[in-house]
Amino acid sequence: MTHDEIFAKVRATLVDALNVDDNEVTPTARLKGDLNAESIDFLDIVFRLERQFGFSIPREDLFPESIFQGDPKFVAGGKITEPGLVELQTRMPYADLTEFRKDPRLDKMEDLFTVDLIVNYLQSRVNAK
Amino acid sequence: MTLKDQVAIVTGGSRGIGRAVVLALAREGARVAFVYKGSTEAAQALEAEAAAAGLVAKAHQADVADPAAGDRVVAAVLADWGRVDILVNNAGVIRDKLFVQLEADDWNTVIGTNLNGVFAFCKAVSKQMVFKQRSGRIINVSSIAADHVNKGQSNYAASKGAVNSLTRVLAAELGSRNVLVNAVAPGFIETDMSAAVRNMAGEDGLKKLIPVKRLGKPEDIASVVVFLAGPAAAYITGQVITVDGGLSLGAIS
Repeated sequence: MTHDEIFAKVRATLVDALNVDDNEVTPTARLKGDLNAESIDFLDIVFRLERQFGFSIPREDLFPESIFQGDPKFVAGGKITEPGLVELQTRMPYADLTEFRKDPRLDKMEDLFTVDLIVNYLQSRVNAK
Repeated sequence: MTLKDQVAIVTGGSRGIGRAVVLALAREGARVAFVYKGSTEAAQALEAEAAAAGLVAKAHQADVADPAAGDRVVAAVLADWGRVDILVNNAGVIRDKLFVQLEADDWNTVIGTNLNGVFAFCKAVSKQMVFKQRSGRIINVSSIAADHVNKGQSNYAASKGAVNSLTRVLAAELGSRNVLVNAVAPGFIETDMSAAVRNMAGEDGLKKLIPVKRLGKPEDIASVVVFLAGPAAAYITGQVITVDGGLSLGAIS
């Protein structure tokens, strides 16, 4: 499956799950910031993608936002520490953290969850098959 | 009829408040699946009464404290009617004892039905309401005893207080999917369950404490449940509605 084919499926999924228009679902659109996804929507998106792609997607694989809950090794003063960033990159090898590393605030982490991130994740899963 | 073609599940539906809720929802046009634990005769009588009136009420035997009961009943209802619009968690038990006499079994029985049962049924309908229908109403029958204490009800009050908290959190989580979650907190209602308390306190003594000077009837609760289930309550979520004739106001005279 090509990157474009995966993108088309992801876009269709997000249009259904989030009640947004086709043209809003751009590669750089952020799920929360741009497409107004709520926490419950993240679950819905995962369920729908599982049905679309026919393999199981552990939610913590795609949206590993809870890994930093209360661990002082990974978060200090509202920012993700260097070990935390290493952990994040390990969990999300398909994510480009270059921009995020410049100001790794925990409350900015949700900006990482873009349409492209989902596509890249699915691409890595499809390629691994 | 405000609930035409809707599907409702009512736990603890064969007697008391639950029975009145089943009939009230059915009269508004809903098809009602009600859950009963042991009162087979009462359940059959209710089915017959509904059918005679041209209403749809179907009995499902289950103990809501059984962790598998929620999924099983909801699956049966979906097989019958294909959707669940309204869940009324009404099943409740009491095991009143002063705390020093309270055994773990008394605690676990009350928490098992009144709290874990609510959890299991909410969980069982949640995916259907949130992801498939994107709509639904959950109404939990709580009690004023959560906030206005009676001695001997530590287990009961704890279970109902927890239900109130669960109601608020679920409302916050599910609101964006148009699933509205509220609770009704009855005061003293004329049911079998409250008979012991009513006998102990004396009805006349109780009535003095209630500004409207009468005990509640199951229908007084059922009408509020119907309201919360219907279109008129489309903008209410996360609330615990007290229905007690003013008892909890605590007016001394």
